Amino acid sequence: MIGDGSMKYDDIVRKTADTLLRAASSFRADQIKAYECAVFEEEVSQSKWVMENILENAFVAESGCSPLCDDTGIPHVILEVGKSQAISREVLKAIGEGIEIGLRELPGRPMAIMGNDEQRLDQSGGLNPDSGAMLPAPIMLLHTDEDVLRLHVLMQGGGPEIRSKTYRVFHKHSVEVLVDEIVSWASEVVGQLGCTPSTLAVGIGRSHYEASSLMLQAMTFGNYSEQNALEKEISSRVNKTNVGPLGLGGKNTVLATFMKVGPQRASGVRIVCLRPCCCFEPRVASIEL
Amino acid sequence: MKDNPQIIQTPISGNAIESLRVGDMILLSGYIYTGRDAVLPKLKELFETGTLEENGIDLQGSVIFHTAVSPAGVGPTSSNKLEIEGNIPILSKAGVKLHLGKGALKPETVAELNRYGSAYAVIPPVTALLESKTLNRKVVAFPELGMEALHSIEVVEYPVIIAAVNGETIY
Repeated sequence: MIGDGSMKYDDIVRKTADTLLRAASSFRADQIKAYECAVFEEEVSQSKWVMENILENAFVAESGCSPLCDDTGIPHVILEVGKSQAISREVLKAIGEGIEIGLRELPGRPMAIMGNDEQRLDQSGGLNPDSGAMLPAPIMLLHTDEDVLRLHVLMQGGGPEIRSKTYRVFHKHSVEVLVDEIVSWASEVVGQLGCTPSTLAVGIGRSHYEASSLMLQAMTFGNYSEQNALEKEISSRVNKTNVGPLGLGGKNTVLATFMKVGPQRASGVRIVCLRPCCCFEPRVASIEL
Repeated sequence: MKDNPQIIQTPISGNAIESLRVGDMILLSGYIYTGRDAVLPKLKELFETGTLEENGIDLQGSVIFHTAVSPAGVGPTSSNKLEIEGNIPILSKAGVKLHLGKGALKPETVAELNRYGSAYAVIPPVTALLESKTLNRKVVAFPELGMEALHSIEVVEYPVIIAAVNGETIY
């Protein structure tokens, strides 16, 4: 038992493992709807066929609880903590164990590098054959007004990490300057991504750490069916690149933009983090513990 | 370009490649090889030293899918990585008729494909779907590379799109 006894260690382990499995093997309802709309609207027959295959892949993956993509990703965990909730070391340990079990059951692609600092950098330490050895990134904690302890698991693929960027923008007291910069960055990288259509995740904060964490929140809480004016503008302008699914051309280079703007400071600079998510991302699932 | 997917079975003949057009949608079936950055340079060496056959490899009319074969399944990596794209011409000369991956290739690679009567196709990274269309898999050479070893897999109706053939490219 943990804390007041309402949470069992094994329950948290199992719930975490199941949430990871769901994140890595299923599309959310709004994601399916976005793809269905894109397939309907797409005029380039090859691009339409690619997106039909992506949708079919999602149904096959969900039915067999198998990976959407062979790059099963790096687990990232967000915990929303309500007013009367407490996080103990045991809770964190149970979440870590759940991640490990989920990766083994998926199974995740075994990609963890073994060895000391230098061996991990040059990969001379060799691959750990255990899928569960892919350690999660540090857990992010968020406050919530709801009285819940809610777990979110994201699986972050390597391709988008190559093309992501966190950098300062001198905004000149104009939102349009920021939007222009985001569109410029995104337009440059969506063609290199390979696995389009992309979803653009954007975080804007005061520091590189904050911008990256806001980007991760945008991936977690963004919704394809609820796009504000700025998100729509960014998507619309990046879609003019005509990169299309798998680079084959067409209307659907990006399906949506998820943007999270954090607190800002009196300054001429904003820190922007952009992640051009691949055609399966955000791979995210949530559960109340 | 044809509107409906064509069926192609491996091994692939030179005539079949000549009849293809950029943008053709294909359902690919049969035995295909898999290999990426780590193994393709080694495969090239086997060809250059005339030791393909003694290693149980027949590249005539073959397909090489640029992927690892892991417990998670298969999915294309970027074909324009140096060790992959750089070996496409020599492996085409060795008999590979279709290189399968993702991303745009350089114009000079497209020209070399044409020189040897080979083609390049892209495949959506649809791992679960591909897994449902993969009948079996076995390591053919370089087992020490683990999931990046040269594998042979038997596939049924993999969805692929011709991206470079007969000197033309979709990109």
